[in-house]
Amino acid sequence: MENEQNRLICRCEEITLEEIIQAIDNGCTSLNEIKRYTRAGMGLCQSRVCSRLIARIIAEKTGKPLDEIVPVTARPPSRPVRIDIFSPRGCNVKNS
Amino acid sequence: MVFTDVAVVGAGPAGLSAAIECAEAGANVILIDENTKPGGQLFKQIHKFFGSREHHAGVRGFRIGEELLLRARKLDIDVWLNCEVCGIYGGTELWIVKNRRESRRLKARKIILATGATENAVAFSGWTLPGVMGAGAAQTMINLHRVIPGNRVVMIGSGNVGVIVSYQLLQAGADVIAVVEAAPRLGGYGVHTAKLRRAGVPFFTSHTVLEARGKESVESVVIVRLDEYWKPVAGTEKELEADTVCIAAGLTPLIELAMLAGCEICFIPSLGGHVPVHDRRMRTSIESIYVAGDIAGVEEASTAMEEGRLSGIHASASLGLYSADKEEELSHQIWERLDVLRSGPFGEGRRKAKEKIISMKSMTQ
Amino acid sequence: MSRIAEHPILGPLKPSGREVSILVDGEEVIAYEGEMIAAALMASGRRVFRYTEKRREPRGLYCAIGRCTDCVMIVNGIPNVRTCVTPVEPGMIIETQRGIGRWGGGDHGIH
Ligand SMILES: Cc1cc2nc3c(=O)[nH]c(=O)nc-3n(C[C@H](O)[C@H](O)[C@H](O)COP(=O)(O)OP(=O)(O)OC[C@H]3O[C@@H](n4cnc5c(N)ncnc54)[C@H](O)[C@@H]3O)c2cc1C
Ligand code: FES
Ligand code: FES
Repeated sequence: MENEQNRLICRCEEITLEEIIQAIDNGCTSLNEIKRYTRAGMGLCQSRVCSRLIARIIAEKTGKPLDEIVPVTARPPSRPVRIDIFSPRGCNVKNS
Repeated sequence: MVFTDVAVVGAGPAGLSAAIECAEAGANVILIDENTKPGGQLFKQIHKFFGSREHHAGVRGFRIGEELLLRARKLDIDVWLNCEVCGIYGGTELWIVKNRRESRRLKARKIILATGATENAVAFSGWTLPGVMGAGAAQTMINLHRVIPGNRVVMIGSGNVGVIVSYQLLQAGADVIAVVEAAPRLGGYGVHTAKLRRAGVPFFTSHTVLEARGKESVESVVIVRLDEYWKPVAGTEKELEADTVCIAAGLTPLIELAMLAGCEICFIPSLGGHVPVHDRRMRTSIESIYVAGDIAGVEEASTAMEEGRLSGIHASASLGLYSADKEEELSHQIWERLDVLRSGPFGEGRRKAKEKIISMKSMTQ
Repeated sequence: MSRIAEHPILGPLKPSGREVSILVDGEEVIAYEGEMIAAALMASGRRVFRYTEKRREPRGLYCAIGRCTDCVMIVNGIPNVRTCVTPVEPGMIIETQRGIGRWGGGDHGIH
């Protein structure tokens, strides 16, 4: 069996349980802090898949109640968009 | 910049119903969805609905969807498809990206957020292997795209989504070789569970998936028994030959736009986690923003439709399209139906949770 | 991993469009125009859509509704295209994505 600590929690950024526990041991107690420290939650899915998993780990490790572990601060764009959309010619980019 | 009276984000059962109400009230409405087709989760739901006649009992989800689309078309509602709402500003302005390329701005006097919910994950070893997917993903593949995502399926979770999707997998021609439930008791409606039992699908309560094994995709799945503290019992591992694992571990409301807008949020575990605080009119802490459906607390398609109508009626009334009396009358009818839908062993808890949210809103006003 | 030709409730399969041919890692695959790329790939028995950047592990379909981004591939030279929400067009060239992918595809990004 794959080492338990080596189990992935954040699929996008490939961050393991061990890395998240380490971040918590080093003082991270919020999703935003974990994200800055490990990149977990910084992936293309914008933490939609992993944020609840990470919140549970924080709650278990620190005893912080789940209701206080709020989703990561939302910032536009709320969806992955191609970078060229921000350029003035963004609309003209060809598909192929 | 385009201007409209009401912008509805999300064209699932909640958003469609909201847009229909607004159009019927005489508002200009634009309904926006990121998908190529409207309907949200509704067209995947091929089972019959519960409840009374008024709640479409006995009608299959996709038929209800067809009815809603027909009404939306008759009312000539402007539907923007392939449009992702990426930002929200000042409570009235949306930033929309069409076809992942083209930026658009839309200013609305009222915004109704009906963005639905997202599936929860379970992170066992090997859960990133191809073949491990959300139960909703499997449902989308079989009922919308008509492709079987795997032949031998292990389902995690015996709640409604778990048992409904398991049954639909059987209907599609796949084998469901186990339904694994961590709790000591099964979670879903008895009718659905009984159908699976009759089909001979084994249920494993107090069990979980320990690992999915395989090189390039799932080849086998190890399940294990859990003790009363939900810890795996060594020596009880069983390796099942399977090519697919479906995860049905509940849904979380998709509140990111509400958070971007600065709506006040509260935490209600029985409704899926963090939800925007709202009042009986489905209005959030920001005056121009309403919510409806799973974003306002995960329930069912039937409640999502009623909440959608409620938000549409009140948003229209706030634009002066209904008198206070008319607004109250229409709203009352819907609340009566919602109270019926939120009764019984499964509904009662949701009714209490909803009341809790609504009481928070009145406190902050 | 095959098409559901007959369904007890939904009836016979109504394809989303005409049969077209697409190229997947150089192999011809028959798909229906307008169906999602991921559906066509799974119907042809393909489950691995990409390999990850760090661990080089295989990934495939996970959410099927465009949210998780695990199904991304290089489509007509553009990397990170979510195949579960991108419809098939005739003659599309689709490649397994390695790592973050590279514009133009072909060399399969990182090695
Ligand atoms: C897998 C699964 C199975 C389910 N099975 C059942 C069932 O069998 N019976 C039942 O009663 N309920 C079921 N549900 C619950 C279901 O969520 C509700 O029944 C109902 O579909 C909720 O309606 P809604 O309109 O709130 O959300 P949805 O139907 O999810 O619609 C929301 C729509 O908004 C779109 N959207 C979200 N964000 C954006 C954005 N930023 N920009 C543009 N568009 C956006 C989404 O793509 C989607 O089309 C299931 C849910 C899931 C996920
Ligand atoms: S799974 Fe963590 S950011 Fe996507
Ligand atoms: S499978 Fe999740 S984005 Fe395609």
